[in-house]
Amino acid sequence: MVSPSNSIKIIDYIYKNYSAKPGKILIHAGVIGWALSSAAQISAIIFNDKIPKEQKMFLVPQEFADACVNILSFYAVTRTFTAIATKLAKTGKWILPSVKKYLTKHNLANNLGNPNFDISQVKMPYSLRKHYNWFNYGLDATATTIGSVLSCNIITPFLRNFYASHRQHDNIAKINSPECPQQKKKCLKSPVYSIYSYQPKSSNLKI
Amino acid sequence: MSFSLKPIGNIADSAANRIIKIIPSVTFSNKKVTGVLKWAGKHLSSPPSNRFILGASALMSQPFIDLNNKRVDEKTRKVSAARTIAKIVAGTTTGVIIRWLCFKATKSMAMKPSKSTGFLRSLLYPKNTSKVTVKGLTHHKMFLGHLLSLGVMMFTNFAIDAPLTISLTNKLLDKIDKKEKKITNNYFKKYPYYSSIDEFVAKSKEVNNGISK
Repeated sequence: MVSPSNSIKIIDYIYKNYSAKPGKILIHAGVIGWALSSAAQISAIIFNDKIPKEQKMFLVPQEFADACVNILSFYAVTRTFTAIATKLAKTGKWILPSVKKYLTKHNLANNLGNPNFDISQVKMPYSLRKHYNWFNYGLDATATTIGSVLSCNIITPFLRNFYASHRQHDNIAKINSPECPQQKKKCLKSPVYSIYSYQPKSSNLKI
Repeated sequence: MSFSLKPIGNIADSAANRIIKIIPSVTFSNKKVTGVLKWAGKHLSSPPSNRFILGASALMSQPFIDLNNKRVDEKTRKVSAARTIAKIVAGTTTGVIIRWLCFKATKSMAMKPSKSTGFLRSLLYPKNTSKVTVKGLTHHKMFLGHLLSLGVMMFTNFAIDAPLTISLTNKLLDKIDKKEKKITNNYFKKYPYYSSIDEFVAKSKEVNNGISK
């Protein structure tokens, strides 16, 4: 059991290390979450006796690829979308009229769109800062959502299906290969194939 | 050997820098657009609603991608689409509920200690840190919410999601089987040359062997 003084230390440690970098935990939590969910789903496929072996040979690699591609495409696609939105708001390329008016008044409008310009560093009244912040959050949240939908729901399914269908073809070809009966026996003894042949009832795959 | 995703992140950042140069400058004067952005900033960034949006959009795209996967046979396509639907429904339902509960719990347990707040309400508030900012505290609560939901989902992924996916997949597969049987039966009623599907398959094999000889 964690003692109260230790729990306070943990809470303080969390505040010091993660309060300034919220993106870090989103990525770490996402990666762990996908890996765990994938492990649970693979076990669900293996222990489902209604799914025939032939289909399991597609579904297990599909689920495995789902987690791997999701992590990679999240990094590549979602992060690009978020980075674009952050830069657009930060450099003032996409801006609210009230903020633009304020910057023009203070002779800073020439810097708008400059990659090194950062509006968040400009001193401005509290109400205007609030206005800029919600615009920034809105742009960021919209871009991240579009990026995640694109990466998780469009790119990942195509890539995981591509990988899984190749794996299924390879596995079926190996098992049904008439030239190498000895190799076939070896294959059947391997743990990979024992995963697919979990249920004895199915007779779809002819070996 | 260590594996790092940093290079992918760097590629994404440099791609973003290039894309930004092409994007035209825009001043958002339309109130409807700014209203949508304000709503998005408030609602889309919350993890439960984010999970819901991802789940709903997944349901609209992933089963159709599975059904149109021409690299596999029809049976695999159907089983894969059924499992995808079951997985999305099970994952989104539990994901939204767990995230909502965990974030609500951490939010109400990280209040600034005062006479009115009890021990439990200020349990997760950083006590020995010299300066606690509003922004820092928001991120702190967010982190704890993620941490708690991740811990809970370690168990629910196996205890709820996986069995629920199995049961929903099997229900969908049963429905598909029933529908296929109905179509086959209707076909044999309409064209009574064969008594059953087995006889039809046997006869067509005979015909195929004859052709190949």
